[in-house]
Amino acid sequence: MVRFMSEQTEIGKRLESRGPDLPSRSYPKLMRRLVLGAVTFSVLPLLVIGWVIYLYYFQFSMSRMVGYFQRTVEYKRTIVDSFLGQRSSDIQLMASTHSLSFLSNPANLRQIFHLLNREGSYYIDLGVISEKGKHIAYIGPYDLMDKDYSQTFWFKEVIAKGVFISDMFLGYRKEPHFIIAVLRTEGGRPWILRATIYPEFLSTLVETKGLARTKDVFLVNREGIYQTNPRFHGKIMEKAPLPVDSFTGESGILGTGPFSHFGPSVPDPGIFNIDLIKYALIQSHPKEIVAYSWLKNPQWLLIVKQDFSEVFGDINRVNTIILILLHSGFFAILIVSIVATGHMTKVIKKRDKEAEDLNRQLMQASKLASIGELAAGVAHEINNPLAVILTENQVILDLVEGEKDLGKEFKEQLEQSLGQVDAQVERCSRITQNLLRFSRRMAMPSRYVDLNAAVEDVVGLLEKRADSRGVNISLDFQENLPKIRGYEFELEQVFVNLISNAIDAHEGKPYGSIHIVTRQDSKRHGLVATVTDSGWGISEEDLARVFDPFYTTKPVGQGTGLGLSISYSIIRQMGGGISVRSEAGKGTEFEIFLPCQDSDSSDSEQTRGEDSKHDLYEKAQATLGR
Amino acid sequence: MTSMRKPKLLLVDDEIAFAANLLKLLSRRGYEVSAVHDGESALRIVQEREFDVVILDQNMPGKDGISVLRELKKKQPNIEVVILTGYGSIDMALKGFELGVYDYTSKPIQLGDLEAKIRQAFQRKILRE
Repeated sequence: MVRFMSEQTEIGKRLESRGPDLPSRSYPKLMRRLVLGAVTFSVLPLLVIGWVIYLYYFQFSMSRMVGYFQRTVEYKRTIVDSFLGQRSSDIQLMASTHSLSFLSNPANLRQIFHLLNREGSYYIDLGVISEKGKHIAYIGPYDLMDKDYSQTFWFKEVIAKGVFISDMFLGYRKEPHFIIAVLRTEGGRPWILRATIYPEFLSTLVETKGLARTKDVFLVNREGIYQTNPRFHGKIMEKAPLPVDSFTGESGILGTGPFSHFGPSVPDPGIFNIDLIKYALIQSHPKEIVAYSWLKNPQWLLIVKQDFSEVFGDINRVNTIILILLHSGFFAILIVSIVATGHMTKVIKKRDKEAEDLNRQLMQASKLASIGELAAGVAHEINNPLAVILTENQVILDLVEGEKDLGKEFKEQLEQSLGQVDAQVERCSRITQNLLRFSRRMAMPSRYVDLNAAVEDVVGLLEKRADSRGVNISLDFQENLPKIRGYEFELEQVFVNLISNAIDAHEGKPYGSIHIVTRQDSKRHGLVATVTDSGWGISEEDLARVFDPFYTTKPVGQGTGLGLSISYSIIRQMGGGISVRSEAGKGTEFEIFLPCQDSDSSDSEQTRGEDSKHDLYEKAQATLGR
Repeated sequence: MTSMRKPKLLLVDDEIAFAANLLKLLSRRGYEVSAVHDGESALRIVQEREFDVVILDQNMPGKDGISVLRELKKKQPNIEVVILTGYGSIDMALKGFELGVYDYTSKPIQLGDLEAKIRQAFQRKILRE
């Protein structure tokens, strides 16, 4: 029903569910929204978390490195401290275990000197100096026996402190050196044992060989004077370009320049360090990083200095890689989101379209269903008044029959007119029947139908009508046609329709003929029945629309235009087809094709069971359908 | 075997004009006919008087044809019913047959057709008794 209602008739067109196209939802907008949502709620948090982790890891690794750097300097300091302490103890031991008189003897002094140097040539010279500041004895490469040290800084210091380690100084020998002096008092008389240490030793301790490219390790005193030779920026005994005052505390790390308040202590890896974060974000860093540690005695500063980029080169590389991975990940996810969302949107669009189509179909079906209901209601309503009309008619007829006094003409006319009334009511009834049939097509079990028998029944029904119009019906049946699966009653309906149309096609012609042929069509595996008439025929333009519902060429009041469309639908339901050929003025031929199904046992069993039910149906149909 | 007497008929239809006409027409043809206009009256009158065939309209306000049929058959299982219908639903028809209707005829009725059905219904009733 859906099918033929959609055919291109006026009404058909109107009935086709055509409303304005559903407002095309903005799919690009939807997609944008989805992508935005995905990005905001998944990618962005990911990015944020990624960055947080990165920064945390960054500052952790940085502070670890810094700590390591600092420990290096402290370790070195310990070595230097230990060396100096050792030397100091050596001299003190010598001074306290040997008397002045013993040491004044140059041979003894020599002995002691070699003893002191047995493990390594730490000492350049060794001298015993009187309270007046003059050498009593001396062993060493310099000519110092007549030198007066009473006014020198170290002399004053050792007199005051008892033990003194000096900074680097030139002294009388005009070479950079430093001394360890120990004061001893014997019998009220003080004397000093003084040793000079090789500055090179200090240098070897400080180990400037085989260091990283920009690494420098050296000692400075409290005034910032180099006590050892640095690799860069100066020489021993020169002023180091360092802000010695900044080196506070026992030890620490300093960054020069904008990083200068890195702080004296190792940054706590547990908490966020703003400087490190700033560095991570804008990569601004000091040129050099300086670790320092103060020696106790003498008060020297051990410094390890290196270019920032060299110290943290590796870490930076790792960190950069992490950052790259993080961002690639972000972009990858973003792209995947977009693609996936795009795909999803497409799927949604497709589903929406399917849903819309389905909806449209449903709307169509329901429209047709309500039309059906309407039709049925109308038909039903009309049947009642029709019934009354008929009975009134009959009452009058009865009356007329019984009346003897009426004139012959009067009676004839009355009977004729009442007959007309009857006929017209009959017609109305047919219309409503058609309408009812149109509005309900229900499933019914089918059974095997004898085509010839069905046609014969119908011809029998319509013979009288054909005769009265001067139309002759001739039959040409092929005998023993195979039975076809179908609905007998409805098949008869189709022939009623075709044959009555054929009869009506002779309207205005004094005589005519209808020829009905049945044949088996083995090529198409079915039966063919043709109804040919010699009527007025159908014009070409009408031919195309002849099966459309509500399409009729009959004048208003005759025919609903439903007959052929119902026939078409019946035949289609049975799996066959109707076609038509016509020549204007000459006649029309309708051809019906009905397929044969191979009968197997299962089928016939089914039909046997259905037959009894079918009989009931047939009876019901017969009484209702006329 | 043709019966001697003519069947006693009961018309049940809410269309007053139609029932009146039908009553007239059937009486003229020699039947003993009564007419009522709703289901309740029909059930009452069959208790009071004897009827052979009931001509029952299917679509009536209040009790419709099928429920009248059901109760009628309970009270008087031998009574035959012909149902008039203006709205031909096959399912309805089937239900009617299951409940014991003799036959259907659709409105607008053909008098000859109805008479034939009444006669046949009456014959069946006689045979059963």
